[in-house]
Order: sequence, then C-alpha cells, then structure tokens
Amino acid sequence: MPNVRDAQTMSVTGELLRTEGLTKTFPGVVAVDGVDFDVRVGEIHALVGENGAGKSTLIKVFGGVYIPDKGKIIMDGKEVAFSSTHQSQESKIAVIYQEFNLVPDLSVAENIFIGREPKTALGTLIDFRRMNSRAAEILATLDMPLNVKSFVADISVAERQMVEIAKALSHESRLIIMDEPTATLTEKEVRKIFEIVKNLRARGVSIIYISHRLEEAFELADRITVMRDGRKVGTRQIAETNKSEIIEMMVGKVVKDYFAQAGTSTEAREPLLEVRNYSVADAVEDISFTLYKGEILALAGILGSGVHRMLQSLFGVIPKKSGDIFFQGRKVNIDRPRDAIRLGIGYVTEDRKNAGLLPAMSVLHNLTIIIIRALSFLRGLFIRDGEERRRFEGIRTTLDIKMSGPGQRIIYLSGGNQQKVLIGRTLLTDCKALILLEPTRGIDVGAKAEIHRMLRALADKGLSVILTSSELPELVNLPDRCIVLYKGRKAAEFTRETMDSEKLVAAQIGQSSGEGRAHV
Amino acid sequence: MIRFLKLYEKFGIFIFIFAGAVFLAFATPNFLKMGTILNIIAQGSYAALVGYGMTLAVTSGGFDLSVESVMALASVFLAILIPVIGIPLAILASLIVATSVGVLNGLIISKLKVNPLITTLGMSTIIKGVALLVAGGKMIVILQKQFMVIGTGRTLGIPNPIYVMVALFIVFYFIVYRTSFGRHVAAVGSNESAVKISGVNVDAVKIGVYALVALTAGLASVVRTSQALIGMPSMAPGFVLVVLTVTILGGTSLTGGRANLWGTLLAGVFVSMIYYGLNLINLQIFYQMLSVGLVLMLALFIEGLRLRYLKAAKAKGIKV
Repeated sequence: MPNVRDAQTMSVTGELLRTEGLTKTFPGVVAVDGVDFDVRVGEIHALVGENGAGKSTLIKVFGGVYIPDKGKIIMDGKEVAFSSTHQSQESKIAVIYQEFNLVPDLSVAENIFIGREPKTALGTLIDFRRMNSRAAEILATLDMPLNVKSFVADISVAERQMVEIAKALSHESRLIIMDEPTATLTEKEVRKIFEIVKNLRARGVSIIYISHRLEEAFELADRITVMRDGRKVGTRQIAETNKSEIIEMMVGKVVKDYFAQAGTSTEAREPLLEVRNYSVADAVEDISFTLYKGEILALAGILGSGVHRMLQSLFGVIPKKSGDIFFQGRKVNIDRPRDAIRLGIGYVTEDRKNAGLLPAMSVLHNLTIIIIRALSFLRGLFIRDGEERRRFEGIRTTLDIKMSGPGQRIIYLSGGNQQKVLIGRTLLTDCKALILLEPTRGIDVGAKAEIHRMLRALADKGLSVILTSSELPELVNLPDRCIVLYKGRKAAEFTRETMDSEKLVAAQIGQSSGEGRAHV
Repeated sequence: MIRFLKLYEKFGIFIFIFAGAVFLAFATPNFLKMGTILNIIAQGSYAALVGYGMTLAVTSGGFDLSVESVMALASVFLAILIPVIGIPLAILASLIVATSVGVLNGLIISKLKVNPLITTLGMSTIIKGVALLVAGGKMIVILQKQFMVIGTGRTLGIPNPIYVMVALFIVFYFIVYRTSFGRHVAAVGSNESAVKISGVNVDAVKIGVYALVALTAGLASVVRTSQALIGMPSMAPGFVLVVLTVTILGGTSLTGGRANLWGTLLAGVFVSMIYYGLNLINLQIFYQMLSVGLVLMLALFIEGLRLRYLKAAKAKGIKV
C-alpha cells in the first residue's frame, strides 16, 4: 500500500482531525450544534446517538456535502474547509454512506478506480490488466476475498462494503467514515468487516464508525462519542466507560407523557389480530404477538431488526415464509394488499413519496382512490360525485387537512398534511386495524403532536393501531405496548407501566440481557 | 409566468391552432369556408380517435406503438370479411380482432412485466406480419360500395367521421373522468406502487388500457378503410408518431397521471391543419412527416421547459 504511514512510527495520540464549535442549521432545526470533536491517527472512533442526533449531518460536513454555518475543521493542525466532496477527498477523507456510491454495472476494479483508471502507454485506452492487478493488490492487503472482475450488481452488501473500503484505500485515505456498515449484514459478514476495520487501524488509518449496535462499538472502538439533539454529549475512552453510561448519554431525558393520555384499561381486552410463529425471509424469525381492539401497539427495532418487513408482510406487500395470522379469531391469508384491505386492515407506508402519494393527482383523488370503485354505481361505471365529496369532507374535517381546495395537487401540501391524507385514505375503508410505518417521518413538530393526538382519538374509538418508529419519544409515549425486535427476534416487551426509555434503547441495540430485559 | 404555464398545460393547443388558422387564412382565400374547415376536421378524425386511446395509455404511464399495425390488421379483416358476413358483422369482427391484440399487449406488459416500448414495438412487427400474411401480401379491394358511407358520407351536411370522432370523445370523456377505471388509470400512471397498496388490481387496469387503445385503432381503421374501399395490410406507415404527437401536443403529461382529452381532440384537428396547409402550398407528401416530427419535438421541447421552470420555481419556494 503506497503512502499509508507506518503505524509504528506514529504516536497513537497524534491528532488527525478536530472540529471547533461546528454548527450546521437547516430551516427550523439545528442539526449540528457547536460540536467539538476529534479523531486521532490510527484510532477507531465510534459515533453513536439516536435518530436525529446529528451524526449523519456531521459526517456529511466531513464529506463536503454540507458546508457548516459556523466553526472550524482542523486537519494536521491546519484549518481546512470542504466546499465539495472532491475537496474532502483531496484531504484524504472517505465517507462510506449507507447507500453506496458504486456503479452496479461496472466491475469491482472499475469501481475502485472510477474516474482514475490507469491508462495504456498512449494514454487513451484503459489499461484493464494494470487496473485489475492493482485492484487485486489492494484487496489482498486487506485480505478481502473478492474477484476484481465481478460486477458490483452481482456481489453481496458486505462485499460492496469491501469495494467501498478498497476505493477509499486507493485514494490513500487517512480517515474513513463508515455509516452503519453492519446494519444489514449477517453475523459472519460482520466478523469479516470487523477484521478489515481492525486491519485498517493497524495501518494507521483513522476510522469514524457509526453504529446503532453498542456491542460493536465496544468491541471495535478505542473511543466513543455520543451525540444527542445535534450536540456532543461527551467522548469516552472505551476502556473507561460501560454500556449503561453510554445509553444514559444517548437517551438523556425523554419527557414521559408528552403526548396524549394513555388508552383504555388493559383488562378485558378483545384480541383483533393475532400473529403466530411468523417468519419473513431475511427479516424476522418466529414472531408471535396479539393486537387488541382499541390499542396502540408499537413494534420497535433499529435498521436490520426486521420490523419494517414484518409489517409489510402483514399487509401482503412482501410474502411471508411461514406462520399464521388470525383476524377476529379467524385464520386468514394475506397474500397481497387487496386481501388485507378486504379484511379491514389499513396501511400507511414509510415511503410517502415513492409508495404512498399519487403526485400527479389532486388531494381529493389521492384520498378517495382506495374507495372510488365502491363509490360508483354499477361496479365502477359512474362515480357518484356528491358522495365522493361528502366522504372527502368528512375525512378533511376529522383530520383537519389544510389545503387550498380539494383540487389542489397533493405535492404542494406540507409533509404533515400529506401524511394526514394517507392516513385518511385508509380510514375511508372503515378499517379495524391500521398499520403505520414511521407515521411522523419528515414532519414538523406541531404536525407530529397533532397526528399523535389523532391516532389516540382513533384508538379510543376502537381502532387498533400497530406502528413502528425510529423516534424514541414516539415509542416511549404513544403506544400502549411496545414490542422490541432485535435481529429478527423478539427481544423485549414493554407496557405503558414498565416503559423506560433507557431500557427500550438498550433492547433495540441488543443489550436487553440483565436488568434491561423487562417483561419478556 | 407560473400562471401562463398552468394555462399552457390546459390550453396550449389553442395557441397552435390559432397560429395555424391565421397562417392558413392569409395563405388561401378558401380556408375560411365551412366546407374546408369541416374537411380538415374530418381528416383529423383518425389521429383524434386513436389519440383518445393513446391518451389513456400515456396517462397510465405507458404508450402503445402497435396502433398502426392493429389498424392494418383490422383493415385486412374488414376487406376479407365484408363479402362473407356482411358489413355490420365484419366491422364487429375486426374490432374484436383489434381489441384482442390490445388485450395481448396488456397481458404481456402486466403479467410478464415487459416494458411497454418493447412489448408494443415487438407486437407491431408481429401484427404487421400477420396482416400481410392474411392479405397474401397485397391490397384487397372492397366491392361493397355502401361501406363507403362511414368514411365519406355526410349527415346533415357534416362528414360522418366527425360524428364518430365526437361520439367516441364523449365515450372516452366518460371513461377518463367519470369512471373508477379512469381514476385508476391516472393513479397507476402517477404512482404504481401506491395504487397497489390501495388494493387496486393494477394488472387489470393495464390490460383494460391496452385493449381500449387497440379498440380505438380498430375504429380508426374502419373509417379509413371505408374511405379508401381497400383493405390495406400496410396501412398508415408512421401513423403512430402522429398519434403520439397529438397526445403530447394536447397536453397529456408524458410522466403519466394527467390526461387532457380535450387537448387530444384539438391536436388531432391541428395536425390535420398542417397537412392541409402543406397540400395548399403544393409541398410533397414527404414534408408531412417532416413537419409532424418537428411539431412533436417542439411540443416536447415546450413541455420540457415547462417542467423545468415549475421545478425551479418550486425550489425557490414560489407557490405553484
């Protein structure tokens, strides 16, 4: 490996990069707030925090994607400024995002050398032989078992991760930032990535390692920094801290009962939907739970826990592997969304833009699309305008959707109002159960509280809600019960009484053993 | 500017028609006569007829390149069947043949998930081959003169094709704006996955769309065949481009989800005006294709500008 400094000759405490008072604001939110952060040469520095803590923004500042409003970045003792990803690369920083920056239709070697392909003597053609052998060299130094000629489209996520790392090395990067590299990997693949990361450290490369799984941070990192609400809570030597201290730093104070009041009493509940021994390929294994009438149930879990796929499968969006669903005591088959809708199950996607909205259409048409056939005479032949308007007005007033008129195009509504339309769409079917994925993602605080109140009101009227969220306050305060999945299995269950934000976070990141294991 | 662009989406075609009319009025004293105008409209009927179907396909997020081959196939069937089973049954049979091709297109697109471009282009070649085979490679003269009444006759002084054009417009207007099927078509074109999780049978919607496009092609073929009184296995080469031009020029968004049926009707008339105008200045027929191509590109260019401007305006936070 050319130019990678020998770790032996360097002081371990040598500082590579430091920030002073780094601040980045977006309209309405301070994403990174006066952060002093430092990375030493040849260390693995774990960066942890809840969703929205500011980790992603911070690394995007390092990657030259965002330009900070205030503060300094100091590298090798000199102040630097990155106004483009290119400049960040020039300073030998490589960021490996969760969505990789690879071209699927090119080979491993071509991806590693993209834009800098070795040329033949005449300088016109790509010297494939030299490119492939150099790529193989880099992969070999890190002991990555990869064929340089494979197409990226054909290799696994873990292998793509390796290609990204090799690409970073080919740039002679001194700082590699990895954003949740193991979230979707299997145990074995995680081991391999760990080896590679340790190998990198031994070569004097510094690594910022973002992960939701605390055990990984503790196994891998030399130091750990916790962020919360855009601020740095603190940095600790791994040897001098423990998991519960880190969790406490991550969670801070979550105000309990910030949302609407708890639902009905837990006694004499009538089961509505029962899931038994349910498995979804590559997602969840042997999950059982019951959703009661009029309750709000949360399924919590970080990326890779399988909760999203579990709920998608429950609505027939993706197939199940095995297991049974009972609805109102009857065994049912849900193979596609239509089956679920017929039973009286509603579904609101987490991907509002790509899987929820009909962007070219009006608010009215977006809302009524689900019942337009039932709203017409003669099996869809003649839409009953008056009835359509009446139903629309009913939902609009219940959910207080703000718009200039029913004919306004949906894309010009605010995120909160768009979400209300999607929820309203399911309510039009008079559903008995409502599945919500990330009900308040990308919605401002006021609209969030409004949607929470609305969900509680609906539950009080007998609607059963099952939701998942990656926002802690939402999980702590909204549901009557919360089931935590970790790596596809049930890890813990909390009721409103036993709910504890620290224990919840602990369970989500795989620390549910010991006293954190509440009510399993 | 925004207001102008919004108006353009709805009424842009009027600008074209007006410009064309002014040009023709100056170019020839004959233009401003009832007879001429009616003829122009009647000649615009095929493009409009198939344009209705194409509008539906484009609204659903696809398109159909097989229309001209379907027209040829229907034409051949008409010519062969009229002497055997009589005019009404022959028309019915050829419409059924045409529609079945559409159903096949729809099945391939929805069930086999082949994209509409490849499906309908491939189908177009196959059907053209079938038409030539059935016709034995030559044109078939129709001897039953009374068949001509559909394409060349007049009722109350107005050419019959105009009645067909208007009647089908009403039917399609109803389908697009008044049925749940029409709503589903627009929704599929707007966001297919969202429609799926709303429980809509997306495959059935697509099959219906392509069946209807082929049906309009069949109807256009009946009118056209009746005018020529010949079954033509290679009818209307390049006509698909005219139909696409009419649809896009009419203001139906290529990105799907929004139909403009009025626009399609008027654009059909406009394209007919171009043909008439070119005839008038004695230009060869080749120039017709050239000019239709140019108009299509102009329409797409303006559409591109419009979308870009709206996007920029939105990025700047201007309310649209």
